[in-house]
Amino acid sequence: MLLYIFRRLLSVAVTFFIVSVIIFLMMHSVPGGPFDANEIPVSEAVRQQLMAQLGLDQPLYVQYFKYMWGVLHFDFGVPYQSPGETVLQLLSRAWVPSLILGGAGVALGAPLGILLGIAAALNRNTWIDYLASAFSTIGLTVPVFVISMVLILVFAVWLDWLPASGWPTPDRWILPIIAYAAIPVATYARYTRSAMLDTLSRPFVTVLRAKGLSERRIVFQHVLRNSAIPLVTVFLPMFIGTATGSIFVEAMFRIPGLGAYFVSSIELRDYPLEMALMLMITFMYCIAYLLSDIVYALINPRIRVGGSE
Amino acid sequence: MSLVEIEDLRVSFRQYGGAVDAVRGIGFTLEQGESLGIVGESGSGKSVSCSALMRLLPATAEVSAARLRLDGVDVTKADREDLVRLRGRSAAMIFQDPMTAFDPVFTIGHQICETIIAHRGTSKKQALDEARQLLERVEIKNAGDVLGYYPHQLSGGMLQRAMIAMALSCRPKLLIADEPTTALDVTIQAQILQLIKDIQAEFGMALIMITHDLGVIAETVDRVLVMYQGEVMEQGPVSQIFDAPQHDYTKQLLASLHAGFEASRGEERDVPALELRGLAKTYRIRRRSGLFHKYADFQAVQETNIVLPRNRIVGIVGESGSGKTTTGLMAMRLTEPTSGQILLEGTDISGLSAEALRPFRRRMQIVFQDSYSALDPMMTLVQIIAEPLHIHEIGTAREQSELALDWLDRVGLDRSFASRYPHELSGGQRQRVAIARSLILGPSVLVADEPTSALDVTVKAQIIRLLKRLQAEMGLSILFISHDLSTVKSLTDTVVVMYQGRVVEEAPTERIFAAPQHPYTKALLDAIPVTNPRDRRLRSFLSAEQIAAATPRYTTKDTGTGPHADPTLVGIAPNHRVEAVVTA
Repeated sequence: MLLYIFRRLLSVAVTFFIVSVIIFLMMHSVPGGPFDANEIPVSEAVRQQLMAQLGLDQPLYVQYFKYMWGVLHFDFGVPYQSPGETVLQLLSRAWVPSLILGGAGVALGAPLGILLGIAAALNRNTWIDYLASAFSTIGLTVPVFVISMVLILVFAVWLDWLPASGWPTPDRWILPIIAYAAIPVATYARYTRSAMLDTLSRPFVTVLRAKGLSERRIVFQHVLRNSAIPLVTVFLPMFIGTATGSIFVEAMFRIPGLGAYFVSSIELRDYPLEMALMLMITFMYCIAYLLSDIVYALINPRIRVGGSE
Repeated sequence: MSLVEIEDLRVSFRQYGGAVDAVRGIGFTLEQGESLGIVGESGSGKSVSCSALMRLLPATAEVSAARLRLDGVDVTKADREDLVRLRGRSAAMIFQDPMTAFDPVFTIGHQICETIIAHRGTSKKQALDEARQLLERVEIKNAGDVLGYYPHQLSGGMLQRAMIAMALSCRPKLLIADEPTTALDVTIQAQILQLIKDIQAEFGMALIMITHDLGVIAETVDRVLVMYQGEVMEQGPVSQIFDAPQHDYTKQLLASLHAGFEASRGEERDVPALELRGLAKTYRIRRRSGLFHKYADFQAVQETNIVLPRNRIVGIVGESGSGKTTTGLMAMRLTEPTSGQILLEGTDISGLSAEALRPFRRRMQIVFQDSYSALDPMMTLVQIIAEPLHIHEIGTAREQSELALDWLDRVGLDRSFASRYPHELSGGQRQRVAIARSLILGPSVLVADEPTSALDVTVKAQIIRLLKRLQAEMGLSILFISHDLSTVKSLTDTVVVMYQGRVVEEAPTERIFAAPQHPYTKALLDAIPVTNPRDRRLRSFLSAEQIAAATPRYTTKDTGTGPHADPTLVGIAPNHRVEAVVTA
């Protein structure tokens, strides 16, 4: 197992390298630069000087290796749009709200979705199933900014139970967390329901019934464990998708999170920040898939035992 | 009080647009220790009746009965607690496919123990102890290890033994075996049937054996119930059913057991239709070893020579994993051989490119076992049958459909079927469509890979007759791959026996059934279920080592060749080759 993890880490490093090259090239192949006239009105001479100062006049491969050398020393450079701090400082400041709200959203949404999925599968074609199904359809089809708007309208404007937006106090976090939870709840409910139904239809469930086990034991010991196998593969990647911030939710609730920087870094050709954000996401997905695979192997004996591919 | 009492049992399934009656008023009783066989084809209601007795039917089933009692309990009124007591304790069940009958994420030991603990509340250690003893009782040698194995680490035969052990764990009064050997190889089937009989006697259990195979009935039970379309056709002692059947359906079933040998007509001619020369397939297996991978070779088929003369049917028999299907696929060039030649009417096609191969494809076709997945569900029957003409650009669209309609006739389907879709047909009808599709191009060679093993006995006999008729009409040469020896006997002219990736014996069909030489061929023939309960006997089974040790020996005088210390295929009579050691 340790050897397996080591092998996988090696492949993560390779993936990381390839992705960094691709992102770097794509980033620079987008026409325009950080100091184009329509962005910041500077004279040609000043522009040249700025470009030289930031090393942007050098060949791409030199820029790439310089940047990556810095990355290896945790030096991601200085964001052009906020020269008073380093990229690392900006990220650690902006990421906190996104991580807290997104993380809480998944932590709340996933178990709720799973429970909903189980309830739906065990009560197939009854009102419970239909209700759960309606719920998850809404979560998946209605855009998250509409959900956010409805939440604000109902709980902040009409009922006046909670503040509508902002960050400073925890009571302002509740509505965005609910908005964040909508997609995990919906996705998990759907996945769990179909995984459970699939497992319930397998012959070994009939065998378990025929040998006289109670229905509760069959569901909670056997069916759930088998259904969990396909679920693990979607859990962590989804967590990352949510925990890196949503432009929509953060904009709706005016949260100083990471989401907005994804857009602004591209718009302003803020190369150091853009690159750092992309690398961070790549790295987190690599690790998430690695962890999912390990958990997958742990709960699935067909992989774990005699696992010669 | 009888152990099982069923009177006027009716089961129907609610469906979109009405209900389907699966069981229409059947009744029987079973005493303690008695054995009853229920025989019938798929859809006859035999499994449904027994599932109703265990209350295992899905919620869409509607069950009514004048009497439905198991071990003195009215099953229709049983509550949760009654059910837990009935299932596993009063009656235990074993199922058709052992590969899917265990939960894949728990060990065998865990699954047997949980049954023991659930019913008897013993300690974990006690349960494990007992589980090991049970596994030993069902003749699993390394019982201690098997307890810690996951289902995917065991073969089908071993899993079925473990399943039987699990069924025995609560000393049930009744064992219901639902097609327990249908998914297994012939030799394993014989072993499992013998085990079930032994255990039934030893534990004094009653037995209900559900099967479509009269051979299994002849081997195992005292009393028989013949079911057809949800009704009991007749019932009685096993000898009476076999010797003096009353009902036409029973007679028809029995007739399918006694298929005789019948040689193909037409001349053989010089150049064989298909010849495989030294055909071999090796797979590279990748294993993880440290940071890198290690490769090992697995020989699925060792150098094989098979000749299929014109106008003849050659059977390849062997158990799963013997390499028979791989050989068939290689002959069709659907799997690339590692080495060797394939001669189609004298032309070596083994090295041809896909483009160059195309004209030869017209002359060789294949039919598969699973007719359902072999037919495109989105196409009508006439489209399916005409597709080969379309691919090879033969005739206009109108001519193609005309010919396809003719072929519907020729395989015994009504022309009105033309615009139907595969899912509307029965298994036998679908296999007819597959046969029509493979023969519409007028090939000279047909590879038939287990075309009848998914079919009911009576349907199987019809398909065999159809193949035989078309073979004679078209002058076909057929390579018939099967594990079912009775089918092979009634259809083929020559039999090739494959074992562990190589040919161990080859002889004319009559001769191989009358005078088999190789120990594996003998074991295979010995494992065929008897056709009459009078012929029941105790069998002894050979292990792989015993088979290897019993390699036949001949002298150079017998074979006319030089001596061979290693087992080699040698000719010992005209057209009879057997793997043997030759001494001076």
